[in-house]
Amino acid sequence: METELRLLWVAIVAYVLSGSVAIFGLILKRRPDGFVLAAMAGGLLLHAAAVALRWDRLGHGPFVTLFEILSSNVWSLTLIYCLAYWRYRAVRPAAAFVMPVLFVLMGWLMLSSPEEGHFPVTYRTPWLYIHVGLSKVFLGCVLIALGMAVVVLLRRQGLALGRLAGLPPDGRLDDLAYRFMALGLVFQSLMLVSGAIWAQDAWGRYWAWDPLETWSFVTWLLLAFALHLRLTLRASAPAGAWMIVAVFGLAFLTFFGVPFLTTSPHKGAV
Amino acid sequence: MTVHAVAVTPGRRAVRGAWLARAGSLRLTLGILPLLAAGVLAAYEGPAGDYATWVLVVPLALLAGNLLAAVASHPAFRRQGALLVFHLALLALILLVAASRLCYLKGTAEVLSGGEFAGLKDREAGPWHRDRTGDLRFESLGFSIAYRPGLRRSGTENRVRWRDAQGIPREQVVGDQEPLVLDGYRFYTTHHKGFAPVFSWRPGTGTADVGSVHLPAYPEHEHRQWNEWRLPGLAEPVWVQLAIEETVLDPAGPTAFRVPARHHLVVRHGEERVTLRPGEAARLAGGELRYLELRTWMGYAVFHDWTIPWLLATCVLAIVALAWHVRCKHFSRPWRPEAQAEEKGMEG
Repeated sequence: METELRLLWVAIVAYVLSGSVAIFGLILKRRPDGFVLAAMAGGLLLHAAAVALRWDRLGHGPFVTLFEILSSNVWSLTLIYCLAYWRYRAVRPAAAFVMPVLFVLMGWLMLSSPEEGHFPVTYRTPWLYIHVGLSKVFLGCVLIALGMAVVVLLRRQGLALGRLAGLPPDGRLDDLAYRFMALGLVFQSLMLVSGAIWAQDAWGRYWAWDPLETWSFVTWLLLAFALHLRLTLRASAPAGAWMIVAVFGLAFLTFFGVPFLTTSPHKGAV
Repeated sequence: MTVHAVAVTPGRRAVRGAWLARAGSLRLTLGILPLLAAGVLAAYEGPAGDYATWVLVVPLALLAGNLLAAVASHPAFRRQGALLVFHLALLALILLVAASRLCYLKGTAEVLSGGEFAGLKDREAGPWHRDRTGDLRFESLGFSIAYRPGLRRSGTENRVRWRDAQGIPREQVVGDQEPLVLDGYRFYTTHHKGFAPVFSWRPGTGTADVGSVHLPAYPEHEHRQWNEWRLPGLAEPVWVQLAIEETVLDPAGPTAFRVPARHHLVVRHGEERVTLRPGEAARLAGGELRYLELRTWMGYAVFHDWTIPWLLATCVLAIVALAWHVRCKHFSRPWRPEAQAEEKGMEG
C-alpha cells in the first residue's frame, strides 16, 4: 500500500502543479500550455500506476470505498480534460477554472481513508465497468463545458476581461460547450440504461427509484432542459453558461453527495 | 339515411395545424420537463402508492402528448431522421413504461432445499397481470454460500431442477447475477435464507404428514431462530426454537453457509415443552411430532415484466439515434475558435 500511496501523492503534486501553473499563466497572461499538459499527463501516468497496483492487490477495481471512488474520478476526469486540453488549443486557459474543481476532489481524497472495503457480490459483473465508465465520460463532458461556461460568466461580470481576451468569443465558447453538453446527454443516457441492465441482474429490478437513480434521472431531465432551452429560446451565451453550471452542480451532487447519504444497495460506485 | 360528406376547408386545416403546433411547442416542453422533474422528486419524497403514481403519470402523459404533437407538426423532424427516431423512441418508451406498470409482477418466495416451489409469499402486481405462478414448478436442490472474513457474502450458488416444455428434467445453477427464468418469471436468489426443521406429524388415528417450518433468515436474525405454526387438528399453535450448539459462521475467517451439526429444537405446545434432536419424537395432545432433520431454505425475489426486452431495444434505438443526431448536428464539422455566424436552432 505504501508504494501505491506514494505514487498517488506524487501524481496529486503533479496535478496541483499543472493546475497552479494554468492559474498563474492566466493571471500573468502567459500560455504555459506545454508544461500544463506535460504535468497533467505525468500525473495521470503515476496515478494510473497507483490505481493498477491497488487493483492488483485487492483483486477489484476502484469502485467501493470513498477513497477509491474519489481517486478513480480524479483520474478519469483529469484524463478526459487532458484530452480536451490537447485537442482544443484555443480554450486551454479555461484549465484555470477546471483544475480547481479537481483540486476539491483531490483534497477530499487526501482526507479519506485508504483502507480496503468489501467488494459486494452484486458488483461482479461487466456491467459495473460499463456503467461506471460511461458515467465518468458523462461527468467529464460536463466538466469541459463548465470551463467554458465560467469564462463566459466572468466576462459577463466584467471580471478578468484583459486576461480572458485571448480566448474565443462567447458565441464560439457557447457552441463548443454545448457540443460537450450534447455528448454528455448521450453518455448519461447510456449510463442510465447500462445501470438498469446491471440492476436487473443484481437486484431483480431495472429501476426502483432509489436515491441515486432518482437524482441521476433528474440530472438527465435538467440536461435535456438545458439543451431545449438553448434551442427554443435561443438563450444567450451567459444564460446557457448558467445552465451548464446548474447541470454540473446537480451532477456533482448526484455523483459525490447522494451515494454517501443513501443506505440502498445501489451505493453509487461511480 | 343520408350521409353528408364533410369537407375540411383550408381554414379548418389551418386552425387544426395551429393547435397541433401549440401542443407540440418546444416552449411547452420547457414547461413539462421541470414538471416531470418535480413529479419525480415528489414521488421520491412523498408517500408510496396512488400519489406516487399520479405525480409521475400526469407529466409523462403531458410529455407524450407534447412529443406526439411535436413530431406531427414540427418540420425539423422531417428534415432530421435521427432526431425523429429519437423522439419516437422516447414516445415508445413512455408507452412501454405504462404497459410495464400495468402488467408487471414483483414478489418473494421461499423454497426448502429438496422441496418444490409452492407459490409466492408476497406479491405486488399491475392490474393487467395474469398470474401464472401457480403453474410454475421447480425444485431447489440446495445452495452454497461462501463468506469472506467478517461474514462478507461472496457468492451464492443454488442448484435448481425443473422440467422444460417437453417434460425433460433440466438442472441449472442460479445465483447472484443469474436468475432462473420460467415462463417469463425470473427467480433471483437473495440474501434471505435460513434453516427449516422438517417434521412428520402423525395424528392419533391416521397417516403421517411431512412438513417444514421456515425459521427467520440466518445469520440476519441469528438470535431470533424461532417460529410458530399450526398442526392439522390442533387448536393451539406449536412454537419451535432452533438452539445451535456450535459456531456456524465464524467471522474470523473464510467460511460457508451450512446446517449446524450440533443443535436441538425446543418445542412448546400449550403447557408442554420438549427438547428434540434429529430422529426424536414427542407426544403432543392429539398426535406424535417427530423431528426428522434440519434443512435450509432459500428466499427468492420473483419478477415478471414482458416489456423488458422491448424497453431495452427501444432504449438502444433511442440512444443510437441521439448519438447520430449529435454527431450530425454538433460534430460533423470541426469547431473553429474564430467568430462566425451563430448556428443555433433546429435547422442544425
